[in-house]
Amino acid sequence: MNLIREIWQSIVRRDPLSTDKGKSELVFLNVWLHIHPAKVKKENMKFRHTFYLGFITFFLFLILLTTGIALMVYYRPYPAQAYQDMKDLQFAVFMGTFLRNMHRWAAHGMVICVFLHMCRVFYTGSYKKPRQFNWVIGVLLLLLTLSLSFTGYLLPWDQLAYWAITVGTNIGSYAPLIGGQLRELLLGGHSVGEGALIRFYVLHVAVLPAAMILLTIVHFWRVRKDGGLSRPVWKLKGKKEELVVIGAPAVAVPMQASATSKDKTYGLMEVVSGKPIFETVTPEEEEDTVFSYPYAFVREAVVLMATVTTIMTMSLFLNAPLEELANPARTPNPAKAPWYFLGLQELVSHSAFLGGVVAPALMVLALLAIPYLDRNPSRRPGDRKLILWLFTIFVVANLALIIVGTFFRGPGWALVPPWVHVVGGAE
Amino acid sequence: MNRREFFKISWGTVGLAALVSGVGVSLAAVIRFLMPSVFYEPPQSFKIGEPGDFPFGPPTFLVDEKIFVFRDREKGFAVASAVCTHLGCTVAHFSSDQRFHCPCHGSVFAADGSVQHGPAPRALDWFEVTMARDGKLLVNKDKVVPPNYRLMV
Ligand code: HEM
Ligand code: FES
Repeated sequence: MNLIREIWQSIVRRDPLSTDKGKSELVFLNVWLHIHPAKVKKENMKFRHTFYLGFITFFLFLILLTTGIALMVYYRPYPAQAYQDMKDLQFAVFMGTFLRNMHRWAAHGMVICVFLHMCRVFYTGSYKKPRQFNWVIGVLLLLLTLSLSFTGYLLPWDQLAYWAITVGTNIGSYAPLIGGQLRELLLGGHSVGEGALIRFYVLHVAVLPAAMILLTIVHFWRVRKDGGLSRPVWKLKGKKEELVVIGAPAVAVPMQASATSKDKTYGLMEVVSGKPIFETVTPEEEEDTVFSYPYAFVREAVVLMATVTTIMTMSLFLNAPLEELANPARTPNPAKAPWYFLGLQELVSHSAFLGGVVAPALMVLALLAIPYLDRNPSRRPGDRKLILWLFTIFVVANLALIIVGTFFRGPGWALVPPWVHVVGGAE
Repeated sequence: MNRREFFKISWGTVGLAALVSGVGVSLAAVIRFLMPSVFYEPPQSFKIGEPGDFPFGPPTFLVDEKIFVFRDREKGFAVASAVCTHLGCTVAHFSSDQRFHCPCHGSVFAADGSVQHGPAPRALDWFEVTMARDGKLLVNKDKVVPPNYRLMV
């Protein structure tokens, strides 16, 4: 018994969790948990502040990593084998369909959740000082998420994959000066073929996930260093109430303005320096503070389990589509990109250069610049009417384009309402 | 500036220059590495068969080459690209209206390949077709010809 206790102690090295010291040490001494602060503010962790969308996105990414590695065992990225391996996964490999479904639905879910997470951060004004740069990291994560989806889309090598990537990469070739070369670089050839498949595979299983993991670490680190989650909007009071001060004490003059309590448990660094250097806290916020264990961890665990359960349940009942083998000679009519790019395809159907290059480039630049262009320091919705409207228009326009592209475009990209059944299409 | 500062700055400059050029050259090399030197793709110039293989009337669609071969009793042979100039989908030729229709974003090309409708920025390409020594038709996709180009046999 003593030996068992000794082994356990050698692993966890902390006091019992019934004590405050134990609760703090659980976070301090564990490399995985210590991205959390030892204590969190209850209100900031409220569901209706974050909807846990960032966490859900992250957990979906974890599902994608694990199921993706499993799929790699059976998948060979050559045109002659790729499609066959998908069929094998569907019909011969034990649990192959289930794993493939999980990978597919988690990927769609991640695109949805990363977008909703961005909206949440925008509507709560959480990109404002000091979180400007983390918003920029976030936009890069959004682009990475889309790139991962796009590269993954080619891998089944079916008709859908082949034509979506043909259309998608041709959009790139409209970029001025370098467009043609860019496409050649991406495809390793002049058209979508075996060179393109292996390149997309390398991007999809190595380069992009690595970038995603690195940037996610930076993203989480910054959330922590920016003073944890932002205060919920309903907790903001008067104009001068936002007291968060970040940075070295030299620039932290406003700190004196707040009544910080002396005996609070701060992060390790604060303990070392003897004063809070990253954040100042009002007494009211202080009252709101609880240990991360169990408050935050239980909530995160519940969200994790809910996410995994949802994806697993979906994967039991809904099968990821697989069309017929890629056929370069026959374009399906209509040929559609993945749904999250159908807004783009809709724009492209009007002008390839304006819709496919200029509009998306402007959108990305605008997103990146938001925290630096929006000089309004207030996070309260009442003070931000104009920009909230602008962002809402941006969101609605994107959704509308996607809906038109998905449901209202029939053969020959003609406007066809979804309730009209087109028999046989053109030809 | 004293001797010490002078050396600090000069070595600093040299070091920085070395770093920047090192990174620059490596980056250029990586990009060049990613650019294939050899393409294992079908050749741009190829034989498609004897004139007698192609019927008069509606064009023959060659799947792998993505071309339409037109044969007209009076005018002779012409070869049109089946690759839409918009985003590269394969267009279909409808004999009902003698036009090319693209399934992707609805571009429509007239019988001579010119754009009539949709987002395509320019007309379909027509390729040079000649008679090889062995009596077979030779198509060269690197040579784009005007739509009225014809090969009489
Ligand atoms: C792979 C994609 C992403 C992952 C895994 C991720 C994850 C997270 C997580 C776990 C949080 C903690 C709070 C929460 O759950 O909402 C967070 C906060 C944050 N995220 Fe993301 N995120 C991603 C993409 C983005 C995007 C696209 C943006 C914006 C363009 C963004 C901007 C932010 C900001 C500014 C915060 C701090 C919010 C606050 O303090 O209230 N993130 N992210
Ligand atoms: S690819 Fe033909 S219309 Fe877009």
